[in-house]
Amino acid sequence: MIVRVHPASGVPIYLQIESQVKHAIAAQAIRQDDPLPPVRKLAAELRVNPNTVARAYQNLERDGVIRTVQGGGCYVNGQAPRLLKPEKIRRLKPLATQLAVESRQLLLPREDTLRLLEESLNELEKQP
Amino acid sequence: MSDLAIETHALSKRFGDLAALDRVNIHVERGSIYGFLGRNGAGKTTAIRIMAGLSPATGGSARVLGFEAGRDSIEILERTGFVIDKMLLPYMTGRELLRFNKGFFPAWSDAQARRYADALEIPMDRKFRKLSHGSKTKLCLLLALAQNPELLILDEPTSGLDPVITDQLLRVLVEDFANDGRTIFMSSHHLSEVEKIADWVGILDHGRLLLEARLDDIRSAYRRIRVTGERVPSKSPEILTASSSEGITEYVLCAGEEKFLADLRNNGATILEVLPMNLSEIFIELVGKENHNVPVETMA
Repeated sequence: MIVRVHPASGVPIYLQIESQVKHAIAAQAIRQDDPLPPVRKLAAELRVNPNTVARAYQNLERDGVIRTVQGGGCYVNGQAPRLLKPEKIRRLKPLATQLAVESRQLLLPREDTLRLLEESLNELEKQP
Repeated sequence: MSDLAIETHALSKRFGDLAALDRVNIHVERGSIYGFLGRNGAGKTTAIRIMAGLSPATGGSARVLGFEAGRDSIEILERTGFVIDKMLLPYMTGRELLRFNKGFFPAWSDAQARRYADALEIPMDRKFRKLSHGSKTKLCLLLALAQNPELLILDEPTSGLDPVITDQLLRVLVEDFANDGRTIFMSSHHLSEVEKIADWVGILDHGRLLLEARLDDIRSAYRRIRVTGERVPSKSPEILTASSSEGITEYVLCAGEEKFLADLRNNGATILEVLPMNLSEIFIELVGKENHNVPVETMA
């Protein structure tokens, strides 16, 4: 797994690491029971603070994405993380707001915007 | 023992009429990497010189590893690697300086000295005065690192270093110091390096500490927001700056994003963009020319 951080992006570095680990799992670049690089090693490679890497790993563990074995490092968990519905909604809200803003800006009628979203959902469901 | 590696309380330093430091309260947690930021002449070096006992404070106090700066200088210097003036005995070579310094520091490591000399590519057989500006800095860093100290206090450690050596230095700092839970306090105006490596930052301007916070908290809290339509009152403690032109208002917010956005929407405004800000943008908003009377802000 290759992690890259962009310190100047304004996004907290621990969030960048978290999302890259999640992507790597989603893309099956790392699979169930694969080890993650140790905190110290990843910190030295990225030249970032070890506390930052540790924070990312803690959050991933809390979300059920990885598990820590006492004294033996971190490993990828099997199941996809189960999030509570309010959390899912909280994460999607900014994207919904953005869609609403853009469609209003373009003066696209409400029905068309909703249909657009529905179509996108339908397309995803068609895929195996 | 205190959890703070460095703590200053209302630290002040006057040079005649000039307040180089004005009641500065710095808190550096043990095991953190603290980026001490400010423009030229902000007072960074003055603060560091007081910590090293090179110059007395005119008010307040500074404690380094639990010892009183200015009074317990020997205890502080034994445990802390300082890089401040980047001046060593001019007629000695790097190798001679290593031998000379070694005797003063109980935790000195020859093996590490050799490793760092390699990593930083320092010509060890040339007299100090014959070295280039960058190599002088590197040799000062080497002496501080080889001390094997609990705390490193570095004043502009990367000034004059090329990008490859800077990268090597950051690797050494993370690998050997931060990974061991040791503390690094470094002043800089190279924000991109600080942004990667630091977990805490303090921003000093005109002798006053404008902000001290965890870098990730700053990143999560500061937002640039562009809206059209009704303006909410531009006076709110969360608004750092607000400017309007051609119907678009741009706010820089230092906290309370969600509530602020809700207020804007309730006032009928349309939110165009909410952008995260990097350290350099935040730095410029805080100490840039347009904004002076910014309130002292501490997020813990």
